[in-house]
Amino acid sequence: MATEQSPILSVRNLKTHFKSGVGRNKLVVKAVDGVSFDIKKGEVFGLVGESGCGKTTTGRTIMRLYTPTDGEVYFKGKRITAGIEGPKNEIADVKADYKDQVKLLQDEHSEKGSNESVKKELDSKIEALKKERNEKIDKLKADIVKRKDDGRKDVKDKEVKELLKKMQMIFQDPVASLNPRMTVKEIIAEGLRIGGEKDNKVIKEKVEKVLETVGLLPEHATRYPHEFSGGQRQRIGVARALVINPEMIIADEPISALDVSIQAQVINLLNDLRDELGLTILFIAHDLSVVQYFSDRIAVMYFGKLVELTTSEELFKNPLHPYTRSLLSAVPVPDPDFEKTRKRIKYDPSMHDYSEDKPELHEIKKGHFIYANKKELEEYKKQLVE
Amino acid sequence: MADNLKLQVKDLTISFRTTQGMVRAVRGISFDLYEGETLAIVGESGSGKSVTSKAIMGILEGNAVINSGEIIYENQDLTEIDEENFHRIRGDKIGMIFQDPMSSLNPIMRIGKQITEGMLINGNHLLERSKRKYQAEKQNYINAKKYKKELKIKYKESKLELKNDKQSADFDKGLEELKSKYKQDLNDVHKNIQEKKSIYKQRKAEAKKEVKAEWQKTKSEYTKELEKLKEQYKNAKSKETKATKEEYNRKAQESFNKEKDRIQKRISELKERYKVSDNKTRILIKNEIRNTKEAFKQFKYEHKRKSFGSESQQLQNAIKQKREEMLRERKVTKRQAYERAVKVMSEVGIPEPEKRMRQYPFQFSGGMRQRIVIAIALTANPDLLICDEPTTALDVTIQSQILELIKALKNERSLSVIFITHDLGVVANMADRIAVMYAGKIVEIGSYKDIFYNPKHPYTWALLSSVPDLDSKERLISIPGTPPNMLFPPKGDAFAERNAYAMKVDFDHQPPYFKVDEGHYAATWLLHENAPKVELPDQLKKRINKAKKSSPKEREVI
Repeated sequence: MATEQSPILSVRNLKTHFKSGVGRNKLVVKAVDGVSFDIKKGEVFGLVGESGCGKTTTGRTIMRLYTPTDGEVYFKGKRITAGIEGPKNEIADVKADYKDQVKLLQDEHSEKGSNESVKKELDSKIEALKKERNEKIDKLKADIVKRKDDGRKDVKDKEVKELLKKMQMIFQDPVASLNPRMTVKEIIAEGLRIGGEKDNKVIKEKVEKVLETVGLLPEHATRYPHEFSGGQRQRIGVARALVINPEMIIADEPISALDVSIQAQVINLLNDLRDELGLTILFIAHDLSVVQYFSDRIAVMYFGKLVELTTSEELFKNPLHPYTRSLLSAVPVPDPDFEKTRKRIKYDPSMHDYSEDKPELHEIKKGHFIYANKKELEEYKKQLVE
Repeated sequence: MADNLKLQVKDLTISFRTTQGMVRAVRGISFDLYEGETLAIVGESGSGKSVTSKAIMGILEGNAVINSGEIIYENQDLTEIDEENFHRIRGDKIGMIFQDPMSSLNPIMRIGKQITEGMLINGNHLLERSKRKYQAEKQNYINAKKYKKELKIKYKESKLELKNDKQSADFDKGLEELKSKYKQDLNDVHKNIQEKKSIYKQRKAEAKKEVKAEWQKTKSEYTKELEKLKEQYKNAKSKETKATKEEYNRKAQESFNKEKDRIQKRISELKERYKVSDNKTRILIKNEIRNTKEAFKQFKYEHKRKSFGSESQQLQNAIKQKREEMLRERKVTKRQAYERAVKVMSEVGIPEPEKRMRQYPFQFSGGMRQRIVIAIALTANPDLLICDEPTTALDVTIQSQILELIKALKNERSLSVIFITHDLGVVANMADRIAVMYAGKIVEIGSYKDIFYNPKHPYTWALLSSVPDLDSKERLISIPGTPPNMLFPPKGDAFAERNAYAMKVDFDHQPPYFKVDEGHYAATWLLHENAPKVELPDQLKKRINKAKKSSPKEREVI
């Protein structure tokens, strides 16, 4: 279990928007819209939601595969990527603020009359404001430059470069994510070679060791992906991520493309690895039963926003947000008597009235966050079960 | 229960010819399906569950061979029926819902066309009627031809047999005898075939004539009525003066104008509001304007059809309708298909079907697309529905919607359903009876209670315990290894390799079906009287006990 310590990954107000079209046809898809969470070392953090809710985009933005629109991602205390929309908007705000203030001053002074001294006073005041404004803007501009620098694809900072190796990804479809024309050894060693390892002996050693870790045999190294079954292919995907010795793994629906019996194999493997290597895992999936089984904490996502975040026991004991409830009621349970009589809950987002009271992520109980406005929060508090 | 048996599969064996040899996909499975029942077939990919369903639909790939077995539906063997006759069963009587809604819909064809397509193509009533009349004769002819083939095979086999014991002195003599007998038989068969063929041809011509005569009769009736209507129409028109006509038109125009004014007023009102409101409400108002315009269009259309109703015009409409009716006797008209499509679409829960008919598949969400696939399957009014993993490509929330829909439709139309999936949660929700398949064989079959609460086969145990439970965090029991290569099916029990409870006998001999209960059978040597007593895996036992003990309400998570 995770203990109280500084988080290994922290995501701050992350936004990733996809824009298309110009003018009238302009369309902005807010795939991720203001997501914040921390992942502690050694923890399995589950991210759940239906397809299209932005969970994969979140994972890929953290992996630096997408550039965020706004917000920051810190990995081991270092910022690894950041969006520039925030400071950009701030600059605009500062400018507008300045204009308003100048106008206010001018109005004030015009009442006093129009002699020389008054004019001088006004000018000096405006000058001061202007200086303040320019300072602020310069600061923000510097911030933008720095953020842009942090988000660059070719990382210059050596420290960050090393850091990024500590975060690896496992993809959903083991068939599509392995190059069919490369042998297993080549696939696994590719990351090592890119990382600068040139000694073939070392590479061979490492590959064989990692194959063993994921439950494959060293002689599998010379085979091609098509010679393996689905579960074994996913093991290769896991091995490819593990060979760099990562501290954190982002697993994007690693089992939803697999057969039931093989799903259990992969879950058990990930569970063992986490215990042995002390891995931190961001587990993205849409199947709540698997996520609940595997994760320490779970965040439920709906249309780009986190609606509920808490420990997995708490989520199943105290699901508060109606969307979480509807998700839970939709999970099929292999128990026919129960399954045939249960009631499904439908979630209708128009049930919330957010026109006046804007919703926020509130901590309703220690470690239990929920997206609600103040009125709803009161209602949710009543529903809490100890 | 035998009287309402819907489908019977007996000892079905299917292989695929490949360059490496024969892949034995299905190895002798048998099951019954009763009316209004859902049979779930569960298993891993490659266990042959989809192949079974395809065989029932008659859509096996070209390299598939049905080695033996029967699929009996409405007293005919589906494995013997030729393609031409299968048309009347596939889709019409047995509907199918496929796994991926995106790839089973045509992306460049409007939804409406895709739904009505089948109805229009299969909608020639006259042809159908005549076909039904000479079907028996045709089947006789086909059977006769088939007998010839069988004879050939038999001859070859017996020749081989003779060759095998060549040592015997009377080999030549035997061969001679065989040949002559074969020739004679062949002669008889040829004669029989010719006879059957001529009967069939004759009957076909007769049937066509009969149907044509029937159609002429109904047609003449209709023409008589039409003549009458036309007469009336002429009279009415001659009586009609300019003044009365104008009167009618004026009235109609008035009511139309009234509505038009109302709509225009409403729109201008909305536009005023649009100017002063903020972005969010603006979108709403825009939608509202669009909707009012749409409604007005509809009104205009209706108005044109209905209210310009002087007597002559009404008669004209009546004539049109009569003509349409006459056409409907002969075939499914476009309007009829459209009406039916709208009805079915609203039945499967697609809002505004008239509008949705004009859209393309990409304009629908995943759940809606699957609803359309279901609607297409339902337009032909099948009484047997095969669902091949209909929700695997969908999200949990949408999955539950689609499952509810299939369940509701099943009850409404008393459909029999074959439900194929590998998700045991879904099975628990849907199934009345369950067949567990592994490596081309049914390893356990029984009611849902038998399979979930009293499983007997180790494979069923493994499947049940490999699903994570919502309220336990114990290590999952995974099935080691992978399913066997069906190019070389194992000699004994196919699951023995991966089975922790395997005994020596499992590797050498295939287990027969042991009866556990009424309707509950399992193919495992563990049920043999000499087998050692084996307990259920602990985890599974705990789970079952818990499920049995607590009533469903107590277990409600929320």
